Amino acid sequence: MIPRYQRILFAVLLGSSILMAAYLIHLHHKRMAQLAALSDATPISAPYAADAETVTLAIANDADGTITASDDLVALPTEPGARTRALLEHLLATYTLPQSTHPLAGGPSIDDVFLLPAEPPQPRPAEPPLFTAPDATDNSDSAGSSSQLAVINLHGSFVQGHPSGVLPEMLTLQSILGTLHANLPQITKVRFLVDGQQAQTLAGHVALDRIYTVTDTTTSPAPSTPATTGDNTQ
Amino acid sequence: MQRFVLPPLAQHNIIVIDPAHGGPENGAQLSDSLSEKDATLALASRLRSVLQSHNFTVVLTRDGDPAAGLTTDQRAEIANHSAAIACIVIHATATGNGVHLFTSSLQPKSKQALLPWATAQAGFVQQSGDLSGQLQTALYRDHLAAAQAQFSISPLDNLACPAVAIELAPLATDGDTKAAGPGDDNYQQRVAESLATALVFWRGHFDPSAGAQ
Repeated sequence: MIPRYQRILFAVLLGSSILMAAYLIHLHHKRMAQLAALSDATPISAPYAADAETVTLAIANDADGTITASDDLVALPTEPGARTRALLEHLLATYTLPQSTHPLAGGPSIDDVFLLPAEPPQPRPAEPPLFTAPDATDNSDSAGSSSQLAVINLHGSFVQGHPSGVLPEMLTLQSILGTLHANLPQITKVRFLVDGQQAQTLAGHVALDRIYTVTDTTTSPAPSTPATTGDNTQ
Repeated sequence: MQRFVLPPLAQHNIIVIDPAHGGPENGAQLSDSLSEKDATLALASRLRSVLQSHNFTVVLTRDGDPAAGLTTDQRAEIANHSAAIACIVIHATATGNGVHLFTSSLQPKSKQALLPWATAQAGFVQQSGDLSGQLQTALYRDHLAAAQAQFSISPLDNLACPAVAIELAPLATDGDTKAAGPGDDNYQQRVAESLATALVFWRGHFDPSAGAQ
């Protein structure tokens, strides 16, 4: 005959085991869902084959708050939107390396890049003028039509894992703007979204709810050869 | 477009200090036990004490950790109604070295009686740059690393006063200088005294009509 207290003890232990197993299964599912959210590997463009080319990256340094031009070899697709996305992903991936001067968390960073005309199309005049004097100095049309606004949709997990502070947030944006300026000169303005929505700040400090003008943000010269802008734009 | 009327004349003795974040908004996590909102409040309180000893009138946008935090627009409203000779926004970060000084990246414009809210700082950009330069000089003189930059940070663009955002970063070891985190009492005190020295100089050379139309 099994004593009563042993039967109770057995029941308690059995119940505890079942509860712990259920809790472990719950934690496993939760963790798997977190990992799935971080590693979104959905292909958004066809695989491409391209030769590696020299690009100039505007590399941030947290220690002295500078942006330095640095050349790198990377294979980029030819389609402009995918090219911009691949370039920025390569830039932000360099910050996840152990020796990074501006350490950022790993994982996907850029969801999408959309390129739009920077200026809204001008309405056509109702009637063409009878005579238009040739003006060799007026090239505003050609410049205006080629300039583009890049809408960069950042991944939410990248923003959540970004270091908080005016300096680190500013350097990330300056690094992106400087890299675009050096390699894709047709992009003159940039707007940022986070998971498709407008966000007030990157990580609590620097504004994301405005349109940035793409300029040369480097504060230090390139250490070796002059910056190569090359003919790597489409 | 939201606008407001510029107060008649800046008082030569008023400094506005805005300790960033507060309430439910913690800001950056500087260490396991220190959040940015506490570090900014601590530095603001030190700076207020030092400035009051120099006969300044100091307006703090928050004096504690209110349950409901202030929006950046509310902070700008408090500053703009104070007619101060300098507005100091305080941040802290675990990244970088020394003190980071930021001013607005707006294009400078002439001061007007009626200011657009989004670009209220445009008429003060030149003065803000001068003030930032004075603060950097004072920090250098006290052997504290300091760097300047221009960027869009709330609520700088909405402030109708010479405005600088000061971000306190860890201090790296350099010669006799010992490493210190943004929450270090001695480090904060040194920074507060340097800033106060610059603001005393600023009070003596402040021209309220500079940049006026």
